[in-house]
Amino acid sequence: MAFTQAVKMHLVFCRSKIPSFQLWSTVIAQRDYHRVLYGRPQNPTSKCCPKIRAMHLTHPLMITKLLSVDEIFARRRLQDYLKNMETEYSNSLKVVNNIEGQQSDELRVKRTRISVIAPLIQYIRELKTKEKEFAETEILLKDDDPDMCKLAVIERETYQKAIHEIRQKILSHLIPEEESDMSDLILEVTAGVGGQEAMLFTAEVFDMYQSFAGHRGWGFDILEYMKSEIGGLRHASASICGPESYKRMKFEAGVHRVQRVPKTEKQGRVHTSTMTVAVLPQPTEISFTINSKDLRIETKRASGAGGQHVNTTDSAVRIVHLPTGVVSECQQDRSQLKNKEKAMTFLRAKLYSIRLEEETSKRYTARKVQIGSKGRSEKIRTYNFPQDRITDHRIGKTVHDVQEFLLGEELLWEMNTTLLDFSNQETLMDILGEND
Amino acid sequence: MWMILRRSLYDFYTHCTPLKDRLILHKGLCTSAGVAECTPSLPTACRLTVQQAVRLWTKHFQLTGVSEPRLSSQYIIAHLLGVKTLESLGPDRLVEFLTHKQMEQTWKLCSRRLNRMPVQYVIEEWDFRDLTLKMRPPVFIPRPETEELVGLVLKDLQVKQGTGVSTEANFTCLEVGCGSGAISLSLLNSLPQLRAIALDKNQDAVDLTIENANSLGLQDRLEVHLMDVLTDADMIVRMCSPVSALVSNPPYLFSEDMTSLEPEVCKFEDHAALDGGSDGMQVIKHILNLAPRLLLNQGRLYLEVDQRHPLVIQQWAKGRESGLQYVQTCHDFTGRPRFCILEKGSGP
Repeated sequence: MAFTQAVKMHLVFCRSKIPSFQLWSTVIAQRDYHRVLYGRPQNPTSKCCPKIRAMHLTHPLMITKLLSVDEIFARRRLQDYLKNMETEYSNSLKVVNNIEGQQSDELRVKRTRISVIAPLIQYIRELKTKEKEFAETEILLKDDDPDMCKLAVIERETYQKAIHEIRQKILSHLIPEEESDMSDLILEVTAGVGGQEAMLFTAEVFDMYQSFAGHRGWGFDILEYMKSEIGGLRHASASICGPESYKRMKFEAGVHRVQRVPKTEKQGRVHTSTMTVAVLPQPTEISFTINSKDLRIETKRASGAGGQHVNTTDSAVRIVHLPTGVVSECQQDRSQLKNKEKAMTFLRAKLYSIRLEEETSKRYTARKVQIGSKGRSEKIRTYNFPQDRITDHRIGKTVHDVQEFLLGEELLWEMNTTLLDFSNQETLMDILGEND
Repeated sequence: MWMILRRSLYDFYTHCTPLKDRLILHKGLCTSAGVAECTPSLPTACRLTVQQAVRLWTKHFQLTGVSEPRLSSQYIIAHLLGVKTLESLGPDRLVEFLTHKQMEQTWKLCSRRLNRMPVQYVIEEWDFRDLTLKMRPPVFIPRPETEELVGLVLKDLQVKQGTGVSTEANFTCLEVGCGSGAISLSLLNSLPQLRAIALDKNQDAVDLTIENANSLGLQDRLEVHLMDVLTDADMIVRMCSPVSALVSNPPYLFSEDMTSLEPEVCKFEDHAALDGGSDGMQVIKHILNLAPRLLLNQGRLYLEVDQRHPLVIQQWAKGRESGLQYVQTCHDFTGRPRFCILEKGSGP
């Protein structure tokens, strides 16, 4: 369970300074969803339910190895799981076919369930045929004719490739999409321990993500940017949108640590400083609405007569969400309207993440104390300049060339992909119940 | 008082070492001339970084009582460096030195601001919604409230466009008192099927609107005429009607309030675009009377007004057979009643 939870925890708890409040009347119609997707009702205490696999405490490096596709397939749990799926499929099919014309909730769920598993069953059958064909070539290998043998070897290779591909497809089919994976996101960076040096590093990390977004072809729109005296960054936020942006960026949330000789250091000593990255999924207009009566919008134009009476260039906008006291500000643009729109985007994301936290913590009340105290301060990555390495503590992966990494291109992508792989593997193990 | 001024100046120069040696000369300037003329002389022997220049001018604006000192200095210097805000400059460029030419420019533009010229005129442009518009005295500088007025019009016209009314030849909007063209151009920019007619009685405003339309590539769908609603009513009806929407940000200040305006507004902006007569209603009344003759049935009139006006206008619409129905009062982002919407009834 380790790594995925750590990620989730950061996503949610980096923003959880605001105390709990009973505001959200959310409709969670997930019961049926779970029956359809996983073939069983949602069980809030079950660890293996992917929907809520979020909130346990992390022990870094619990998974030490990223398994290959074939290794995973060698596990009995997976084979059992696939077998169960097949049985369920054929049973459901029988039930549905036998009772023609009747309508009940039970049947409807079964039907939907069939259509959900159908592609998986298709893959499993394909896999079986290929495996059979592969086995048949074994006989050819023992053939006396050397040409025949050669042919057999070549054939075996193609089959092997095909099997590998199908296996990969099956695995990716087993890993469910998370609801928020499809959404855009708000990135927030905040300087932590280490004064000016931390702020300088924060600016570098923010730049790294900006070029990362550029490199991936995502939109990157700065909402807030608070500089420090010597060119560092106290705090900044940006909205990022594009395919898979949240799915990828969620792994970047947490405390990043830098170890180097700061520009400001006269005696050449290595300092350690930190900065925090928060990643909030950005809700769509439809999935999340805010009542405009709950908002107080503050501008410089509030005093005096406003309108034609006064000409101001201060177009900063501050929005307060009255029921929760959540505040968002923007002064990036010269147009007040643009600033207001950006501040609203930011506010929505903040409120949304609070709601997510609310929901998750309800499910994990028992563990809340642990998480609240530790989650936020969990360091996820170290950038060590003297040794020219970056280490991700969640998966124990180290890459070299810090400058290259900070460009936000291939190296960051590589690290991020490994994180995604680990997370997928963990999800898979959860589904198979290997971590129980 | 002088001691305080000098001390703060001194504090500042100690941070800005390259200028320290010019301190004496500067002090002399300050004591001999009045505060308003306290322009720091252009340093020729040393160069300043972006950050230092911003700080220096912020300080000077502060000392001379110029409003929004920090922002003014930031916007002007950002403009000279080719960006809209200093935030969009990387941290590296903040510590770069200004070239001599940039220094001269900075001094020239900031001196204008010292005379209370609005920043929008100093840098000759400002943003309105999605557009960047050219600004030039004495043409009225659009206020942020008007961005919301455009939002109200857009909301209605987008519905019309969606229901197919736009297929009519007359999907036209008329603006009275266009100034820099902000309202009409924003509408045209957001609604590709809309045509617009913009009127102003000031030649400078007409010229500036045309200039802005050209630079935004919107000139094909916009007509601009030099006309005055007070005197050319019949001609306007003949030339423009019928239109689907009528929008205006007319002069709505009460004449008595004109004396209490900030120098930025009072000294530089066209008073004809601000002063609405003793009750602020002079131009508004003309527009109200003219609207039924200009609008199509169900066509709407959108007005930005003083907060004391909506009730008066509502009474006016009730009190007579005007052909206009009062639809609603909308509030601006500060919660003031700021916008009036009226609709032409489908009667005769």
